[in-house]
Amino acid sequence: MSAFVQFHDITKTFGGVTALSGVSLSLTRGECHGLMGENGAGKSTLGKVLAGIHKPDSGELVIDGQTHAFGSPRDALAAGVAMVHQELAFCPDLSVAENLCLGRYPRRAGGLLLDHVLMKRRAEELLSAIGVALDVSRPMSELSTAQEQLVQIAAAVGTNPQILVFDEPTSSLSATDADALFLLIEDLKKRGLTLIYVSHRMPELFRLCDRMSILRDGRYVGTLKKEEMTHDAVVQMMIGRSVSDYYPRHLETAPGDTVLSVRDLASPGKFSDVTFSVRAGEIVGFAGLVGSGRSEIAQAIFGLDSRATGRVALDGQPLALGSVKASLAAGVGLVPEDRKRQGCVLGMSCQANISMAILDRVRRLAFLLDRPAEISVSSDYFQRLQIKAASLDAPVNSLSGGNQQKVVLAKWLARGGRLLIVDEPTRGVDVGAKAAIHQLIDELARSGMAVILISSELPEVINLSTRILVMREGRIAGELTRAEATQESVLRFMTGIERSAA
Amino acid sequence: MSQPTSAKPAARRSLAQEVGLALVVIVLATILAGYGWHDAAPGRPNTFLNFDNLVDGVATPMSYYAIMAVGLTVVIITGGIDISVGSIMALAALGGATALQGLPLDAPAWQVLPIAFAVPLLIGLVCGLVNGALIVGLNLHPFIVTLGTMSIFRGLANVLPAQKTLPAAGKRLPEAFTTDFMRLEFFGIQPLPLIIMLGCVAIGWFYLRLMIAGRETYAVGGNEEAARFSGLRVNAIKLRTYALSGLCASIAGMVSLGRFGTASTSTGTGYELTVIAAAVVGGASLAGGKGTALGALLGTLIIALIENGILILRLAQEYRLIIIGLAIVVAVALERLSHHLRQRRASR
Repeated sequence: MSAFVQFHDITKTFGGVTALSGVSLSLTRGECHGLMGENGAGKSTLGKVLAGIHKPDSGELVIDGQTHAFGSPRDALAAGVAMVHQELAFCPDLSVAENLCLGRYPRRAGGLLLDHVLMKRRAEELLSAIGVALDVSRPMSELSTAQEQLVQIAAAVGTNPQILVFDEPTSSLSATDADALFLLIEDLKKRGLTLIYVSHRMPELFRLCDRMSILRDGRYVGTLKKEEMTHDAVVQMMIGRSVSDYYPRHLETAPGDTVLSVRDLASPGKFSDVTFSVRAGEIVGFAGLVGSGRSEIAQAIFGLDSRATGRVALDGQPLALGSVKASLAAGVGLVPEDRKRQGCVLGMSCQANISMAILDRVRRLAFLLDRPAEISVSSDYFQRLQIKAASLDAPVNSLSGGNQQKVVLAKWLARGGRLLIVDEPTRGVDVGAKAAIHQLIDELARSGMAVILISSELPEVINLSTRILVMREGRIAGELTRAEATQESVLRFMTGIERSAA
Repeated sequence: MSQPTSAKPAARRSLAQEVGLALVVIVLATILAGYGWHDAAPGRPNTFLNFDNLVDGVATPMSYYAIMAVGLTVVIITGGIDISVGSIMALAALGGATALQGLPLDAPAWQVLPIAFAVPLLIGLVCGLVNGALIVGLNLHPFIVTLGTMSIFRGLANVLPAQKTLPAAGKRLPEAFTTDFMRLEFFGIQPLPLIIMLGCVAIGWFYLRLMIAGRETYAVGGNEEAARFSGLRVNAIKLRTYALSGLCASIAGMVSLGRFGTASTSTGTGYELTVIAAAVVGGASLAGGKGTALGALLGTLIIALIENGILILRLAQEYRLIIIGLAIVVAVALERLSHHLRQRRASR
């Protein structure tokens, strides 16, 4: 069989971050081809290059012998490529029919009026083409996630594509809904469509795909045929990154008393049955896929989730949930996941950002800002963390990502406390700053603080943590000691195949 | 939205902006003085640059606007807006008039002044708290909430007093508040509105620059989410700013009541637009995080000079709205341009 779709040496960068680097891959006509990789491996980006959403910086895309350079999804549609997106994009207040005909409304009366009858009929036809019956006059917002997805698939199939890209279609579906989706996908394959299925869930890839390709750090690693697909083979290909050999020094001292104890923590729709504890001088790593509930737990402990239930205690004292004030008073700090959105006020100076969590301490006469105290505290941490900025007064948006992250860390170091939660501390940070941040976290634990480290980067969690909790779908799927923790053992818990390592 | 990436300290950037505004003031004043010199009849003083015009034509009329602009600037810094200020001003002035008209004309100052201050200010504080509570408590958009309360407060001002103008016919407010206080003369001018305006600007500067509350205001406006993640009590901070804005509007109402000796249901009508214009011309960013009390004063001064210029240049009053509107658009466009230039310079 000759190649139907060929990617030649595709490279794509987003503002300095390389998402795809020289990826070459070919698909045969009529197959279902899986794309697998960790978060940030580039699998979704590759799918979006094919669907015309991302324009590659270099490289060539050949479909059926013709070279294409898609500038927009519209170009891709014209060439027969449609995509079912992970995030569903609809106008929630319009009806199903209006959404399905969006942009191509049937008109009457010389183009002045919308032909409602024809629009409804067309929408019903689109849905019945994939074997779905829905009341198309209902507003989109009344539909369940699974139904919304069906509407999206109907819209995509309705463009009569030759190639259909699915980007993590089951990420928000229940098991039964996912099963129905698989039947539909198998049916589409029988009709001769070429399918690309992007996912990090092995069981469904094994079930649906004829072949699957693995990406790692934006590079193509290899392709497996159906008979070669085994869990071990895939994990083997996903790993392979060299693990830096930094040995955390906090391990030299035995952990102290329990600082944080969490029992039966739950939040509807986010996570449930979460029980764990962290002792002084420990770094407890939280591994898991994005959306597995790690950041949500962190925010609940910090008091940002008013719907959280369960028992949380700090140093033996019960902590009221849903109150940032209580969490701060108990000595909890949070370096949040999204540095620019949640971590710092970009337009304000380093000094103002560092002192933001201690404004209640740098005061005099009850309500005046004690500038000398503020400057002395913030310049102290500014120097200690070796933040590279023009001055203490420089606005944070003039700093590099790594230095911005150091400012956020400095904010919480200045406040001190008993427990620090760091969520993705090195995302988008250059190598040098990364090592410095790792060392800093290690030193915090060595000084007797309890630390929770959340990271999507396996080498980071495995290397830095005293022990590791692995989250999957809102629950703690397993706990690993430092000795047990390898990329393979963590990945097994993360992806849901809990066979013991061979 | 990303901010400019110049490494210039934030404080120095806002100072640079204030110097720029002061330059605009000087340029405008120079043009008007030149015309005023040219226009004056032989042997007569400069029609612009004379004491009476500067005080009665520029400074006193702008005092109401500047007082409100300080409060509104604080709201705008948090990323909010308050368009109910004109109605709050009316309600406060009418409330004060209602309370004062019962007192005899020659009531002593110790009896009159506490009432003259407390009643309007209390009304303004309550109105501001209502705005803030609706915005924070129900998580509604400040524009919509204050659009509603602008109408409601104005409606209350129409419904509650027995007459359209207070005090009632034949009555006058105690002179201890009017002639002997707000209209008190010093060297031929009535400085009290000016003094109160400068006092409000000074307090605004003190609040924003020296108090912890001011720092919190900038933090919430710069990035509300990050402020929340830093443990700041975002809702309380926002509630406070709307209370302040209501308070400032009521101070303007009180000044107006004392100066004119009357308050009417139409007091302060349309002021909100001039005040928003003054704050924006003064460098407050509707996106939040930027603005200063001094900027509010200078922004108001620019608008007051333009309004006075229309008189001096003997342009038809009908052009006033067009010119004010142009001033807003030009101010915002200049701000965008300098932002753009800074970014280009920083990226090089």
